[in-house]
Amino acid sequence: MLSRNVKRALLDTRWPMPPTFLLPWAASLTTVSHATEANPIPLPPNAGRHISRKPIKELPNPFSPPVPSSTGPPSAPQPSAIASPPALSSSVRDLLPVLEAQTPHYITAHLYDRPYLLTQGDTVRLPFFMKGVEPGDVLRLNRATVLGSREYTLKAAAAAPALKSPAHSSTTVIDPVTGDLGSRSTGIPELGVTGLGGTSVAPHFVPHIAKDERLFVCRAVVMGVESEPLRVKEKTKRRQRKIKKVKSKHRYTILRIKELRVRGVEEIDGGVED
Amino acid sequence: MPPPTRFFRITLLRSAIGLPARSTGVLKALGLHRRLKTVYHPVTPDVAGQVFAVKELVDVQEVDRALSDREMKELRQPDSGFYVERRAGTKEAVEEAA
Repeated sequence: MLSRNVKRALLDTRWPMPPTFLLPWAASLTTVSHATEANPIPLPPNAGRHISRKPIKELPNPFSPPVPSSTGPPSAPQPSAIASPPALSSSVRDLLPVLEAQTPHYITAHLYDRPYLLTQGDTVRLPFFMKGVEPGDVLRLNRATVLGSREYTLKAAAAAPALKSPAHSSTTVIDPVTGDLGSRSTGIPELGVTGLGGTSVAPHFVPHIAKDERLFVCRAVVMGVESEPLRVKEKTKRRQRKIKKVKSKHRYTILRIKELRVRGVEEIDGGVED
Repeated sequence: MPPPTRFFRITLLRSAIGLPARSTGVLKALGLHRRLKTVYHPVTPDVAGQVFAVKELVDVQEVDRALSDREMKELRQPDSGFYVERRAGTKEAVEEAA
Protein backbone atom coordinates (compact mmCIF):
# COMPACT_ATOMS: atom_id res chain seq x y z
CA MET A 1 0.00 0.00 0.00
CA LEU A 2 2.73 2.32 0.94
CA SER A 3 4.69 1.48 -2.12
CA ARG A 4 1.64 2.08 -4.23
CA ASN A 5 1.27 5.49 -2.74
CA VAL A 6 4.84 6.25 -3.44
CA LYS A 7 4.50 5.05 -6.95
CA ARG A 8 1.41 7.12 -7.51
CA ALA A 9 3.15 10.09 -6.07
CA LEU A 10 5.97 9.57 -8.46
CA LEU A 11 3.67 9.23 -11.40
CA ASP A 12 1.43 12.11 -10.57
CA THR A 13 2.57 14.92 -12.72
CA ARG A 14 0.74 17.56 -10.74
CA TRP A 15 3.01 17.01 -7.84
CA PRO A 16 6.33 18.69 -7.75
CA MET A 17 9.17 16.47 -8.64
CA PRO A 18 10.22 14.07 -5.90
CA PRO A 19 13.36 14.83 -4.02
CA THR A 20 16.56 14.29 -5.81
CA PHE A 21 17.50 11.16 -3.98
CA LEU A 22 14.40 9.42 -5.25
CA LEU A 23 15.16 10.14 -8.81
CA PRO A 24 17.21 7.72 -10.81
CA TRP A 25 20.49 9.19 -11.70
CA ALA A 26 19.49 9.34 -15.29
CA ALA A 27 16.77 11.78 -14.39
CA SER A 28 19.30 14.50 -14.15
CA LEU A 29 20.21 13.79 -17.70
CA THR A 30 16.72 13.83 -19.05
CA THR A 31 15.41 16.23 -21.49
CA VAL A 32 12.83 18.62 -20.38
CA SER A 33 12.35 21.05 -23.15
CA HIS A 34 14.86 23.73 -22.45
CA ALA A 35 13.42 26.35 -24.67
CA THR A 36 11.31 27.86 -21.95
CA GLU A 37 13.73 27.49 -19.10
CA ALA A 38 15.68 30.60 -18.53
CA ASN A 39 16.26 30.94 -14.84
CA PRO A 40 19.63 32.44 -14.15
CA ILE A 41 19.30 31.91 -10.41
CA PRO A 42 20.71 28.68 -9.05
CA LEU A 43 17.91 26.60 -7.71
CA PRO A 44 18.03 25.04 -4.28
CA PRO A 45 19.03 21.41 -4.23
CA ASN A 46 15.59 20.12 -3.37
CA ALA A 47 13.81 21.95 -6.10
CA GLY A 48 14.44 18.99 -8.31
CA ARG A 49 14.14 20.86 -11.52
CA HIS A 50 16.21 19.46 -14.24
CA ILE A 51 17.12 21.45 -17.19
CA SER A 52 18.56 19.82 -20.15
CA ARG A 53 20.84 21.67 -22.32
CA LYS A 54 21.90 22.03 -25.62
CA PRO A 55 24.08 20.33 -27.97
CA ILE A 56 27.35 21.70 -28.73
CA LYS A 57 29.58 22.45 -31.54
CA GLU A 58 33.18 21.76 -32.04
CA LEU A 59 35.62 24.51 -32.50
CA PRO A 60 37.06 24.76 -35.95
CA ASN A 61 40.46 23.69 -34.74
CA PRO A 62 40.80 22.84 -31.08
CA PHE A 63 44.47 22.22 -31.51
CA SER A 64 45.36 25.67 -32.62
CA PRO A 65 47.88 27.01 -30.18
CA PRO A 66 46.72 29.84 -27.97
CA VAL A 67 47.61 33.15 -29.34
CA PRO A 68 50.12 34.81 -27.06
CA SER A 69 48.75 38.05 -25.80
CA SER A 70 51.28 40.65 -26.69
CA THR A 71 51.55 44.16 -25.41
CA GLY A 72 48.84 45.36 -27.71
CA PRO A 73 45.23 45.97 -26.77
CA PRO A 74 43.36 42.92 -25.51
CA SER A 75 41.10 42.88 -28.51
CA ALA A 76 43.83 41.84 -30.83
CA PRO A 77 42.47 40.91 -34.21
CA GLN A 78 44.18 37.55 -34.49
CA PRO A 79 41.79 35.18 -32.72
CA SER A 80 38.63 36.32 -34.40
CA ALA A 81 40.25 36.84 -37.72
CA ILE A 82 41.63 33.34 -37.95
CA ALA A 83 38.47 31.50 -37.08
CA SER A 84 35.62 33.40 -35.59
CA PRO A 85 34.05 31.01 -33.12
CA PRO A 86 30.31 30.70 -33.37
CA ALA A 87 28.29 32.77 -31.00
CA LEU A 88 26.59 31.07 -28.10
CA SER A 89 22.91 30.55 -28.29
CA SER A 90 20.62 32.36 -25.93
CA SER A 91 19.80 29.25 -23.95
CA VAL A 92 23.45 28.56 -23.28
CA ARG A 93 23.91 32.17 -22.39
CA ASP A 94 21.12 31.96 -19.85
CA LEU A 95 21.90 28.61 -18.36
CA LEU A 96 25.66 28.42 -18.37
CA PRO A 97 25.94 30.67 -15.30
CA VAL A 98 23.57 28.36 -13.49
CA LEU A 99 25.74 25.40 -14.25
CA GLU A 100 28.83 27.34 -13.44
CA ALA A 101 27.51 28.38 -10.05
CA GLN A 102 26.90 24.86 -8.85
CA THR A 103 30.07 23.04 -8.00
CA PRO A 104 31.49 20.47 -8.16
CA HIS A 105 31.26 19.61 -11.80
CA TYR A 106 31.72 16.43 -13.66
CA ILE A 107 32.59 15.80 -17.23
CA THR A 108 32.39 12.96 -19.67
CA ALA A 109 35.58 13.48 -21.54
CA HIS A 110 36.56 11.42 -24.53
CA LEU A 111 40.08 10.21 -25.06
CA TYR A 112 40.33 8.53 -28.41
CA ASP A 113 37.29 6.31 -28.65
CA ARG A 114 36.26 6.00 -25.03
CA PRO A 115 34.36 8.19 -22.62
CA TYR A 116 35.63 8.82 -19.11
CA LEU A 117 33.41 10.17 -16.38
CA LEU A 118 35.65 12.51 -14.44
CA THR A 119 35.60 15.09 -11.74
CA GLN A 120 38.26 17.19 -10.16
CA GLY A 121 40.75 15.23 -8.12
CA ASP A 122 40.11 11.94 -9.84
CA THR A 123 42.92 9.57 -10.57
CA VAL A 124 42.43 7.72 -13.80
CA ARG A 125 44.31 4.67 -14.85
CA LEU A 126 43.90 4.74 -18.57
CA PRO A 127 43.45 1.38 -20.25
CA PHE A 128 46.40 2.09 -22.50
CA PHE A 129 49.89 3.48 -22.48
CA MET A 130 49.78 7.03 -23.67
CA LYS A 131 52.64 7.71 -25.97
CA GLY A 132 54.54 10.91 -26.15
CA VAL A 133 53.87 12.08 -22.62
CA GLU A 134 55.98 12.00 -19.50
CA PRO A 135 55.14 12.23 -15.83
CA GLY A 136 54.51 15.83 -14.97
CA ASP A 137 53.08 16.81 -18.31
CA VAL A 138 49.89 18.79 -18.20
CA LEU A 139 47.25 17.63 -20.64
CA ARG A 140 44.29 19.62 -21.68
CA LEU A 141 41.21 17.51 -22.36
CA ASN A 142 39.16 19.21 -24.99
CA ARG A 143 36.49 16.78 -26.10
CA ALA A 144 33.48 15.95 -24.03
CA THR A 145 29.91 14.94 -24.47
CA VAL A 146 28.53 15.78 -21.04
CA LEU A 147 29.34 18.55 -18.65
CA GLY A 148 27.31 18.75 -15.51
CA SER A 149 26.85 19.37 -11.85
CA ARG A 150 24.51 17.78 -9.36
CA GLU A 151 21.40 19.14 -10.99
CA TYR A 152 22.35 20.56 -14.32
CA THR A 153 23.69 18.93 -17.38
CA LEU A 154 25.05 20.31 -20.56
CA LYS A 155 24.91 17.71 -23.25
CA ALA A 156 26.53 17.54 -26.62
CA ALA A 157 24.60 17.47 -29.81
CA ALA A 158 23.04 14.22 -30.74
CA ALA A 159 24.85 12.27 -33.35
CA ALA A 160 23.63 12.69 -36.82
CA PRO A 161 21.44 9.88 -38.05
CA ALA A 162 23.81 7.20 -39.21
CA LEU A 163 21.61 5.07 -41.37
CA LYS A 164 21.31 5.22 -45.07
CA SER A 165 22.22 8.21 -47.06
CA PRO A 166 19.35 10.51 -47.77
CA ALA A 167 17.93 10.04 -51.19
CA HIS A 168 17.95 13.60 -52.40
CA SER A 169 20.00 15.91 -50.27
CA SER A 170 22.28 15.85 -47.33
CA THR A 171 21.45 15.87 -43.68
CA THR A 172 21.68 18.96 -41.58
CA VAL A 173 21.73 18.88 -37.83
CA ILE A 174 20.56 21.87 -35.89
CA ASP A 175 23.07 22.93 -33.32
CA PRO A 176 21.32 24.50 -30.36
CA VAL A 177 24.47 26.03 -28.95
CA THR A 178 24.74 28.44 -31.74
CA GLY A 179 21.19 28.04 -32.89
CA ASP A 180 22.14 27.73 -36.50
CA LEU A 181 22.20 24.94 -38.96
CA GLY A 182 25.11 22.90 -39.99
CA SER A 183 26.45 21.22 -36.90
CA ARG A 184 29.70 19.55 -37.69
CA SER A 185 31.16 16.33 -36.63
CA THR A 186 34.67 15.27 -37.42
CA GLY A 187 33.68 11.76 -38.28
CA ILE A 188 31.71 12.89 -41.23
CA PRO A 189 33.37 12.98 -44.59
CA GLU A 190 33.13 16.62 -45.37
CA LEU A 191 35.77 16.98 -47.99
CA GLY A 192 34.29 14.81 -50.65
CA VAL A 193 30.69 15.35 -49.91
CA THR A 194 28.36 17.42 -51.94
CA GLY A 195 27.90 20.79 -50.43
CA LEU A 196 24.17 21.01 -50.60
CA GLY A 197 23.98 23.14 -47.51
CA GLY A 198 24.70 20.51 -44.95
CA THR A 199 26.57 17.44 -44.01
CA SER A 200 25.80 14.06 -45.30
CA VAL A 201 26.47 10.93 -43.40
CA ALA A 202 27.64 7.61 -44.59
CA PRO A 203 26.43 4.66 -42.58
CA HIS A 204 29.83 3.51 -41.52
CA PHE A 205 31.15 6.82 -40.37
CA VAL A 206 30.69 7.18 -36.64
CA PRO A 207 30.33 10.80 -35.73
CA HIS A 208 32.38 11.84 -32.78
CA ILE A 209 30.59 14.26 -30.65
CA ALA A 210 32.68 17.12 -29.56
CA LYS A 211 31.95 19.79 -27.10
CA ASP A 212 33.00 23.31 -27.50
CA GLU A 213 36.31 23.74 -25.81
CA ARG A 214 35.45 27.27 -24.89
CA LEU A 215 32.88 26.13 -22.37
CA PHE A 216 35.10 24.34 -19.92
CA VAL A 217 38.65 23.91 -18.75
CA CYS A 218 39.83 20.43 -17.92
CA ARG A 219 43.45 19.81 -17.13
CA ALA A 220 45.04 16.51 -16.26
CA VAL A 221 48.52 15.77 -15.00
CA VAL A 222 50.36 12.67 -16.02
CA MET A 223 51.19 10.95 -12.75
CA GLY A 224 53.14 8.05 -14.05
CA VAL A 225 52.94 4.66 -15.59
CA GLU A 226 51.54 1.58 -13.98
CA SER A 227 52.37 -1.94 -15.03
CA GLU A 228 50.29 -5.03 -14.69
CA PRO A 229 51.71 -8.30 -13.36
CA LEU A 230 53.30 -10.43 -15.96
CA ARG A 231 50.82 -12.77 -17.54
CA VAL A 232 51.91 -15.98 -19.17
CA LYS A 233 49.59 -17.82 -21.45
CA GLU A 234 50.42 -21.28 -22.63
CA LYS A 235 49.68 -21.92 -26.25
CA THR A 236 49.55 -25.53 -27.26
CA LYS A 237 48.99 -27.29 -30.50
CA ARG A 238 47.73 -30.76 -31.02
CA ARG A 239 50.10 -33.70 -31.40
CA GLN A 240 53.04 -31.54 -30.58
CA ARG A 241 55.09 -31.40 -27.41
CA LYS A 242 56.12 -27.80 -27.68
CA ILE A 243 54.31 -25.36 -25.46
CA LYS A 244 54.62 -21.76 -26.46
CA LYS A 245 54.45 -19.35 -23.55
CA VAL A 246 53.21 -15.94 -24.47
CA LYS A 247 54.14 -13.25 -22.01
CA SER A 248 52.37 -9.98 -21.72
CA LYS A 249 52.95 -7.13 -19.37
CA HIS A 250 51.09 -4.04 -20.34
CA ARG A 251 51.69 -0.54 -19.15
CA TYR A 252 49.02 1.96 -18.31
CA THR A 253 49.26 5.70 -17.97
CA ILE A 254 47.86 7.30 -14.86
CA LEU A 255 46.30 10.71 -14.99
CA ARG A 256 45.05 12.98 -12.30
CA ILE A 257 42.40 15.56 -13.01
CA LYS A 258 43.95 18.72 -11.75
CA GLU A 259 41.37 21.22 -12.77
CA LEU A 260 37.83 21.09 -14.01
CA ARG A 261 35.73 24.17 -14.21
CA VAL A 262 33.05 25.67 -16.32
CA ARG A 263 33.95 28.90 -17.94
CA GLY A 264 31.77 31.95 -17.61
CA VAL A 265 29.95 33.61 -20.43
CA GLU A 266 32.00 36.78 -20.09
CA GLU A 267 35.17 34.76 -20.25
CA ILE A 268 34.01 33.07 -23.41
CA ASP A 269 32.86 36.27 -25.02
CA GLY A 270 36.08 37.98 -24.13
CA GLY A 271 38.01 35.27 -25.86
CA VAL A 272 40.18 34.76 -22.81
CA GLU A 273 42.66 32.01 -23.36
CA ASP A 274 43.18 29.77 -20.39
CA MET B 1 38.76 11.99 -71.70
CA PRO B 2 38.46 14.50 -68.86
CA PRO B 3 38.58 13.22 -65.32
CA PRO B 4 35.17 12.63 -63.87
CA THR B 5 33.79 15.30 -61.62
CA ARG B 6 31.01 13.39 -59.94
CA PHE B 7 31.22 10.11 -58.16
CA PHE B 8 28.95 7.52 -56.72
CA ARG B 9 29.90 6.59 -53.22
CA ILE B 10 28.68 3.02 -52.96
CA THR B 11 28.64 1.14 -49.68
CA LEU B 12 27.66 -2.47 -49.36
CA LEU B 13 25.15 -2.75 -46.55
CA ARG B 14 23.79 -6.22 -47.08
CA SER B 15 25.61 -9.26 -48.22
CA ALA B 16 24.70 -11.11 -51.36
CA ILE B 17 24.75 -14.50 -49.67
CA GLY B 18 21.82 -16.51 -50.87
CA LEU B 19 21.25 -14.35 -53.90
CA PRO B 20 21.84 -15.38 -57.49
CA ALA B 21 25.42 -15.53 -58.61
CA ARG B 22 24.74 -12.58 -60.86
CA SER B 23 24.39 -10.28 -57.84
CA THR B 24 27.67 -11.51 -56.45
CA GLY B 25 29.29 -10.89 -59.79
CA VAL B 26 28.02 -7.33 -59.96
CA LEU B 27 29.30 -6.63 -56.49
CA LYS B 28 32.65 -8.06 -57.39
CA ALA B 29 32.74 -5.89 -60.49
CA LEU B 30 32.03 -2.87 -58.36
CA GLY B 31 34.80 -3.83 -55.96
CA LEU B 32 32.51 -4.59 -53.05
CA HIS B 33 33.74 -7.78 -51.49
CA ARG B 34 32.55 -7.38 -47.93
CA ARG B 35 29.90 -5.55 -45.99
CA LEU B 36 30.45 -1.87 -45.25
CA LYS B 37 33.09 -1.65 -47.93
CA THR B 38 32.91 1.69 -49.67
CA VAL B 39 34.01 2.35 -53.21
CA TYR B 40 33.85 5.37 -55.45
CA HIS B 41 33.00 5.17 -59.12
CA PRO B 42 32.44 7.93 -61.64
CA VAL B 43 28.90 8.73 -62.52
CA THR B 44 28.38 6.95 -65.80
CA PRO B 45 25.49 4.95 -67.25
CA ASP B 46 27.49 1.75 -66.82
CA VAL B 47 28.02 2.25 -63.12
CA ALA B 48 24.46 3.41 -62.69
CA GLY B 49 23.27 0.16 -64.21
CA GLN B 50 25.50 -1.84 -61.92
CA VAL B 51 24.21 0.02 -58.92
CA PHE B 52 20.69 -0.53 -60.11
CA ALA B 53 21.29 -4.26 -60.32
CA VAL B 54 22.18 -4.42 -56.63
CA LYS B 55 20.18 -1.49 -55.37
CA GLU B 56 18.70 -3.50 -52.53
CA LEU B 57 22.12 -4.19 -51.09
CA VAL B 58 24.00 -0.92 -51.30
CA ASP B 59 23.83 2.63 -50.14
CA VAL B 60 24.57 5.21 -52.80
CA GLN B 61 25.39 8.88 -52.59
CA GLU B 62 26.61 11.20 -55.26
CA VAL B 63 29.68 13.11 -54.19
CA ASP B 64 32.12 15.56 -55.67
CA ARG B 65 35.32 13.73 -55.01
CA ALA B 66 36.50 10.20 -54.52
CA LEU B 67 38.21 9.68 -51.21
CA SER B 68 41.22 7.47 -51.07
CA ASP B 69 41.38 4.57 -48.65
CA ARG B 70 43.77 6.52 -46.48
CA GLU B 71 41.43 9.48 -46.28
CA MET B 72 38.52 7.26 -45.38
CA LYS B 73 40.59 5.63 -42.69
CA GLU B 74 41.51 8.99 -41.27
CA LEU B 75 37.87 9.90 -41.11
CA ARG B 76 37.16 6.79 -39.10
CA GLN B 77 39.85 7.47 -36.53
CA PRO B 78 38.66 9.08 -33.35
CA ASP B 79 40.20 12.30 -32.22
CA SER B 80 42.70 11.98 -29.40
CA GLY B 81 40.71 14.32 -27.19
CA PHE B 82 43.66 15.99 -25.57
CA TYR B 83 46.77 17.94 -26.24
CA VAL B 84 49.86 18.49 -24.16
CA GLU B 85 49.53 21.91 -22.73
CA ARG B 86 52.78 22.00 -20.84
CA ARG B 87 55.73 19.71 -20.78
CA ALA B 88 57.31 18.64 -17.54
CA GLY B 89 60.54 20.42 -16.80
CA THR B 90 59.81 23.52 -18.80
CA LYS B 91 60.27 26.91 -17.30
CA GLU B 92 56.62 27.46 -16.53
CA ALA B 93 56.25 24.11 -14.83
CA VAL B 94 59.25 24.72 -12.63
CA GLU B 95 57.94 28.15 -11.68
CA GLU B 96 54.59 26.76 -10.66
CA ALA B 97 56.15 24.03 -8.57
CA ALA B 98 58.32 26.55 -6.80
